[in-house]
Amino acid sequence: MSTTALQPFFSARDWQPFEFQKQTWSAYLAGKSGLLHAPTGLGKTLAVYLGPLTENLETKSGCQVLWLTPLRALAADTLRALREPLAEIAPHFEAEARTGDTPAALRARLRKRLPHTLVTTPESLSLMLTHSDFAEKLAGLRCVIVDEWHELLGTKRGVQTELCLARLRAWFPQLRIWGLSATLGNLTEARQALLGSAFENSVEVSADIHKPLVIETLIPKEIGLFPWSGHIGTRLASQVADEIEKANVTLLFTNTRSQTEIWFQELLSIRPRWKDRIAMHHGSLDRAERDLAENGLRDGSLKCVVATSSLDLGVDFSPVDQVIQVGSPKGIARLLQRAGRSGHQPGSVSRIVGVPTHALELVEFAAARDAALARNVESRAPLKKPLDLLVQHLVTCAIGTPFAPEPMRREIQSSHAFAEITDTEWQWALGFISNGGAALANYPNYQKARLEDGCYTVDEKRLIQQHRLSIGTISSDPAVSIKFVNGHTLGTVEESFISRIKPGSALVFAGRQLTLVRFHQRTATVKPAARAGKGQVAIWGGSKMPLSNELSRAIARRLRGDGAPALEMDAVAPILAIQQTWSRLPDDESLLIEHARSREGEHLFFYPFAGRLVHEGLAALTAFRISREAGESIHTTQNDYGFSLTSKRGLHLDEETLRLHLSDENLLDDLVACMNTAELARRQFREIARVSGLILQTPPGQKDRSQRELQTSASLLYEVLDRYDPDNLLLVQSRREIMEKQLELTRLTAVIRRLQSAPMHLVEAKNLTPMAFPLWADRLSATLPAGDAATRLEAMLRTLNVAADSIRRASTVP
Amino acid sequence: MNSFPNLPGISLLTEGAVFLTNDSTLIVADIHLGKSAAFRAQGLPVPEGDCARDLARLAALVERSRARHLVIAGDLFHAPSGMTDDIETALADFVSQLEIPITLVVGNHDVKIQQLPAGLTRVHLLDLEPQLRIIHDPTHVSGDRLHIAGHWHPVVKIPDGKRTSLRLPCFLFRHHTLVIPAFGSFTGGSILKLGPDDRVFVPLRDEVVELPPGFAWRTSLA
Repeated sequence: MSTTALQPFFSARDWQPFEFQKQTWSAYLAGKSGLLHAPTGLGKTLAVYLGPLTENLETKSGCQVLWLTPLRALAADTLRALREPLAEIAPHFEAEARTGDTPAALRARLRKRLPHTLVTTPESLSLMLTHSDFAEKLAGLRCVIVDEWHELLGTKRGVQTELCLARLRAWFPQLRIWGLSATLGNLTEARQALLGSAFENSVEVSADIHKPLVIETLIPKEIGLFPWSGHIGTRLASQVADEIEKANVTLLFTNTRSQTEIWFQELLSIRPRWKDRIAMHHGSLDRAERDLAENGLRDGSLKCVVATSSLDLGVDFSPVDQVIQVGSPKGIARLLQRAGRSGHQPGSVSRIVGVPTHALELVEFAAARDAALARNVESRAPLKKPLDLLVQHLVTCAIGTPFAPEPMRREIQSSHAFAEITDTEWQWALGFISNGGAALANYPNYQKARLEDGCYTVDEKRLIQQHRLSIGTISSDPAVSIKFVNGHTLGTVEESFISRIKPGSALVFAGRQLTLVRFHQRTATVKPAARAGKGQVAIWGGSKMPLSNELSRAIARRLRGDGAPALEMDAVAPILAIQQTWSRLPDDESLLIEHARSREGEHLFFYPFAGRLVHEGLAALTAFRISREAGESIHTTQNDYGFSLTSKRGLHLDEETLRLHLSDENLLDDLVACMNTAELARRQFREIARVSGLILQTPPGQKDRSQRELQTSASLLYEVLDRYDPDNLLLVQSRREIMEKQLELTRLTAVIRRLQSAPMHLVEAKNLTPMAFPLWADRLSATLPAGDAATRLEAMLRTLNVAADSIRRASTVP
Repeated sequence: MNSFPNLPGISLLTEGAVFLTNDSTLIVADIHLGKSAAFRAQGLPVPEGDCARDLARLAALVERSRARHLVIAGDLFHAPSGMTDDIETALADFVSQLEIPITLVVGNHDVKIQQLPAGLTRVHLLDLEPQLRIIHDPTHVSGDRLHIAGHWHPVVKIPDGKRTSLRLPCFLFRHHTLVIPAFGSFTGGSILKLGPDDRVFVPLRDEVVELPPGFAWRTSLA
């Protein structure tokens, strides 16, 4: 490489290239692809970008570097970071971004001519594949860089990226592909997924610069009064405010959007003078609101921003010198990522302060520190064979350039996700995008792609239009936007929340106290509340993230007494002592089960330490198996440590019976029977139907009346397919996805196998133990819905009638 | 079959139809023939299956109820693009086998359909008795007489207070109008926003039962 070209750039800054940068440059110049794993900062951008940039400074041959970013919001920052070296080293080259946010004029210009470096998202890249001259325009392409690959890995957008890369590799066999990733437990697999058939001869470069990391915990002053359960944690708010006071700029992370709103209000009420110096940031806020917070962080004018994972990703906020995490970090990778938001300058320290929301989270923070310092982080499993994406991608390709089936099959198989696609699946996918094929015999008069001279092509303008609208796989559930009377938009909430608030009532959203004026057709109009008061805090549905395996193992080690002395463990010791006296401490080498009696009947508490999703599955499974024999209805609750069963009677079981109920025999059938999977799969189908083009997308803000006859719901489509084409592979996929998503089936199976051979400690507890209490207190309990729809309806009607009677009686009382 | 409370002579059938006992008239609404074909014609892969079966279901119901007159309260068809030869043949067979008069009260989806099989009378509204009128769109009521209508595909959501709920096609009685559920199986429905005076009826096993009064009021609070 012409390091001479780089010399001025580095010496002007008094920099020395890092070892990993030199490694990356030389691997790139040797024609290799690879994955660079490094902490965030300018260093890794230069490592992957300077190779392709300096390799050819002479010819102006169109687009030479494609930079893929997972978030539209990151595109502007990335562009800034790339333009800096570009301006100095090769001022005659341009860099532009093309995402869903790009203005139409720029987009039109980019349609005509591409710049030297193009920053884009997987969706936009997919969209560009539908243009027939795209391959020609990319003729000078040398390198594709995929930023934040760990964010895409394991998602459908990751698979979309894999398929787009397979297309580019087929066009340009010499193409080099480089990924950037944060620390993962499975970096090799991550590289395999990124590179597919190009994995051989590729390299992994690891920047072994460990930024100094400090993980501390706010210790509650009086542990005796600290709650055993809960998740809001504002009890420690004044201590938190003191911490914020001490630092220059603080990022305060919470786990949910509602928690963000609550904490924002709480901090304001403790320190009213911070009114203009704190801001909030979450995914449901309007772009403009989020920009305010981001800009305030960048220029250091804000004291604190309260945020959710919407600020996890790699934006550079140099002034931030402290990160606070409220509540369980849930995983090591997430904790590291969030800690890395502070101390962004090379050489400075990343500092994160944990705020427990209940006593046991003290153990979690101590455990998280153990695992984080050992860099014992989670893996992300790549997705395999999501056929909805395959059919979408095949139509995308057919629109761009007609393709012959055999070369296309080889191309698709060159991706990691579809390397093992079967004949049946391939033929089915071809049928689905064309005119049915053998597997879709029940689809008369259907045609999308045509076969012409042995090649699949889509040339009907209307179909092309339709397809372009449906590219993209992020689900977008209908949301209600919140606006002021003057039209200024604040963000979105869910309909189920806003429909419960009456006009004239107060609500809290976007850090403001508001009064609802009216709610009409997907828009809720609000005005600032006249008086300060408690309004309902906006809540959003969606499941909570489960505790990761790595973190739960670290917790179990702490409970066994391993690890260096820690302030957190000292603080929580009195509570653990109670647990030990009344029962025993659970861990992951044995299974602790507590049996207790109360006014409600009998309780069983299990502590497998496997995360809330697995526990939900295990709870439903054991409840189903026990009630099948005993006939009693059983309430279940679960959290990240364990689950509970409650019933009037019949839970006093011996070890042998309990082992039977926890066995892996008939596991799948029993799960399907007890989890109402048909209903869940139907809901999951919504995304699949949209991705595969079964449901039409209407352009935002436009109501195309001519398409009204083609509107239908995903659940209705699911029923129709289930009835008339039960072998449709999209249905199979939907069932599989829901089992993984709702129950983490792979993890659940592993856990149940582990429990088979683990010793079991069955304890008769006189009182609810500190571990049992949160499970008992979780009033959002789910009952195992017993019986078919008619039985359930009868039960519901009985309840309704009883309620109606009591109201009638109440109203007749004089 | 149970008699509609307060309105003798009107029975609600579990199949989602209404039977007038006095003149043996069977009323259904919203069959949407050819809907899946209309989807396929636009490049959306939806399987065929409902059309023939829906007609067979209707024929069986006519037979079982011994109806002497069949009234379709609108939207027998879905769209012109869904009118394939197969569907036209199936419909012609259906009409000729039934051997009773069939009246189609034109619905918004039927307007664009030009060709009707012989034996099918097309009207805009149908007065059966001085005090009973069949229309398609429930908002097109006039006067105090009883109306029977379709168009809304009414569905009610019954929560059980335990995070789950049932979604059921239902009959809705509001003011003087009885809105009947969609008969076609590929039709979907919209969840009703209920007022305090609305009465809602759902099929349960072999009868149609009324949800307790005040149901809507209480569920909206839940």
